[in-house]
Amino acid sequence: MAVYIVRRLIWLPFILLVVSFATFSIARFGPGDPLAVAAGQFRDPEILAQVRAERGLDGSVLEQYGRWLSAALRGDFGESFLQQGFSVSELIFPKMWISAQLGLIALVIVFALGIPLGLLASRLSGTWIDPFIISTLLFLRAIPVIVLIPPLLWLFALQLNLLPVGGWGGLFDIWWLGGVVAIPIPDPHLYLPLMAMSIGGFGGVARLVRITALEVQGEDYIRTARAKGLPESVISGRHVLPNSLLPVVTVIGFALTSIIEGAFFVEVLLGIPGIGRFTFEAVVSRDYDVILAMTVITSAVFVLMNLLVEISYTFIDPRIRLGASAAT
Amino acid sequence: MGGQYRLLGILLAVLAVLVLVVGGLSAALLIGGGEETGGNGGTTTSSPSEAGPDASEGGETVEAASGRLRLPGIDPITLDPHLVTDTGSAQYVAEIFSGLTTISPDLELALDLAESFDISEDGRVYTFTLRPDALFHNGRRVTAADVAWSIDRALDPETSSLVALSYLGDIVGARERRLGRSETLEGMRVVDERTIEFTLDAPKPFFLWKLTYPTAWVVDSQQVEANPRNWTRNPNGTGPYQLKEWRLGERIVLEASDRYYEGTPSVKEVLFELSGGSTLTRFENGELDVAGIGVNDLERAQDPSSDLGPLYSNSVEMSISYLAFNTEAPPFDDVNVRRAFAMAIDRAKVAETVFMNAWLPATGIIPPRVPGYTAEDKTYTFDPEGARAALAASSYGSPEGLPPITLTEMGGGASASIDTQAFLEQWREELGVEVQVRQTDRATLTADLDDGRLQIFVDGWSMDYPDPESVIDLKFHSTSPLNDVRYQNTAVDALIEAARVEQDPERRLQLYRDAEQILIDEAAWVPLYFPLAHVVVAPRVEGWFAPPLIMPRLRFVTVTE
Repeated sequence: MAVYIVRRLIWLPFILLVVSFATFSIARFGPGDPLAVAAGQFRDPEILAQVRAERGLDGSVLEQYGRWLSAALRGDFGESFLQQGFSVSELIFPKMWISAQLGLIALVIVFALGIPLGLLASRLSGTWIDPFIISTLLFLRAIPVIVLIPPLLWLFALQLNLLPVGGWGGLFDIWWLGGVVAIPIPDPHLYLPLMAMSIGGFGGVARLVRITALEVQGEDYIRTARAKGLPESVISGRHVLPNSLLPVVTVIGFALTSIIEGAFFVEVLLGIPGIGRFTFEAVVSRDYDVILAMTVITSAVFVLMNLLVEISYTFIDPRIRLGASAAT
Repeated sequence: MGGQYRLLGILLAVLAVLVLVVGGLSAALLIGGGEETGGNGGTTTSSPSEAGPDASEGGETVEAASGRLRLPGIDPITLDPHLVTDTGSAQYVAEIFSGLTTISPDLELALDLAESFDISEDGRVYTFTLRPDALFHNGRRVTAADVAWSIDRALDPETSSLVALSYLGDIVGARERRLGRSETLEGMRVVDERTIEFTLDAPKPFFLWKLTYPTAWVVDSQQVEANPRNWTRNPNGTGPYQLKEWRLGERIVLEASDRYYEGTPSVKEVLFELSGGSTLTRFENGELDVAGIGVNDLERAQDPSSDLGPLYSNSVEMSISYLAFNTEAPPFDDVNVRRAFAMAIDRAKVAETVFMNAWLPATGIIPPRVPGYTAEDKTYTFDPEGARAALAASSYGSPEGLPPITLTEMGGGASASIDTQAFLEQWREELGVEVQVRQTDRATLTADLDDGRLQIFVDGWSMDYPDPESVIDLKFHSTSPLNDVRYQNTAVDALIEAARVEQDPERRLQLYRDAEQILIDEAAWVPLYFPLAHVVVAPRVEGWFAPPLIMPRLRFVTVTE
């Protein structure tokens, strides 16, 4: 397995090289550039040409890519045009961190509630509860986030006046008990985005768990377990659940990649300074270096997550051996 | 079987670790920056009985209302006055920095760092005397050398300013300095510690207005030289406010400077909320003191019986939205085709039905509040008969004779904006011409404009100072790089060039008005609307106004408790 992992990791730099060059050329061959956007009303061709040279935006795409690559290898991913005076890493990582915190919590909520709901539905398969749970969750899942957020805002912020309309205040507020003891309480800005981000997610997870659990329940060893007289709770917990997890782990792997990309609509509608919104703004303003850094980081995480998922398969299902197929 | 248990354990452990890591790091970050939160908590929970989380949440939304002005904002692209090009950044820059001249709330030219100025007989030499009491936020006195250093820096190729020449280009030698052909700015001279002199390439009465733009403002040479890359994170300016805190994407806090030469502003602290959703919803929820109103909320805000009604006001922005024809691209190289398209649309009706009069139908090219503006309508009125006649008189003769026509506008591509749809419908109905729509983003539109690839496009123009030169000369002189419609008319050029050097203010405005009328008659642009700014302002805020230009305003605002 170690050999397999190393082999996969050796490929990573090549993948990133290809991805970065492709992104770089697509951006450069697209119409317009960040300076034309920044110049706004004033477009003096002579000045634009001069500033292009000053900012390293002149020359052929290969030349420019070479300059970018050699800087990137030294850890310098360039400077944002959208937020001048800040390096790309200074901008991306704090925003990514905000998105990742929200994404991770939403992910935990989705799986913590989705898995039990799916198991419950599978155990009650054949009764009215199973289709009721699944169809309710699928109905919620079918509501696009942009449709979901306005009524949530209306209810919780404007009518009940319980929650702020949007924004970001970190995960916890410290409530000082007697001015001495710090008690962290969740920041009120968290509730609405978490609701918006998780409500749709239950459906997918629950359905997946339900299907695989039903499949597993039809297996011989479950019948044997039942025949042995094991209580239903033990069968679910010890046999059905672990054997239903393989596809769930795959889903978690992909979901982990998506959390560092941010949740665009939630971030825009609820005004969260996350990476999804920032990436979108970067694309619109042709903020080349930000776009490129985001693509490269996301690709790297995607590759690594895939690898992690594969490794975790070997733990879940001992029959799977990594590298076996590569050897043949 | 044991393996399966272990696996479940691993999975749960991973989840637990994730929760702990995220929570722990955030808590650590929070306690690290704990003073303010602690302080906040102190003022929030005035009575210890408000212990429940609900109470503190409810309190949080209302609490911030005390003492400071809370405004919606965005992360500035830059706080460097010499680089700033967007109004989002300029609203901070205009408070932190200042220059020789400024614009007063009633849009008059006013002196700022300069105490007085003198213009030579021939209108080419401007001599400014600085006020003796002007200080940087850190207490250092502002001298003529600071002004000279700043203006030279704005033009220095190292600074890479995109706009310096647009505002300082009238000074002799500015272009050479900007393009790196000269190490010094020829037309600028420090006379003594408090006197600085500029020589212009021609007498230009709007030069004083150009100096009100941030590109001409003063920065602290010591700070910039010590930290050329990051100095704007804690800028040492000369304006009424200083930057107290900037958390990317979260908030900007400006604090009144007690060294400001006109006296410390009344509002001691201004909080710009950079995150958060709809500003109007947050305003209604008591989280903001001011919010802009979009078209969709306009009816409600203008209804005097609604909650927002008494808080609503609007003001004219100094800008214009227009339809433009590329006068080099067929079929719009024929003036009669342009006229036909201009006469076939009913702008007043569109403004009324589509925008509910959120914007004013434009009466000409020069926007309101700009000298030279007149209220009488100088544009083509809706005239289907005249439109058809004009098309028949054109070299294309009939709708069938026209090549395919595409209109380009900015947008996401899902559907044309509603007023464009109305225009397309009117062109189809009145002229029998089918026009395609193409939507692009700003970058693509700009690139296409530069390449002259467009036929009809929708765009806007904002005045940078209240002088018709800022639109008539810049957008229509045949040699201007901003002449997107590629309009060539020696008569218009002659009027513009005469206005450039005309010293009599009234005659000068008349020259621009004459040029404006020719431009409208020749339908280079179809002026569409003069945009209005619609706002609601909380009752505790006095003196608020929406600035139509880049200008300081927070020091004119007061907040009552």
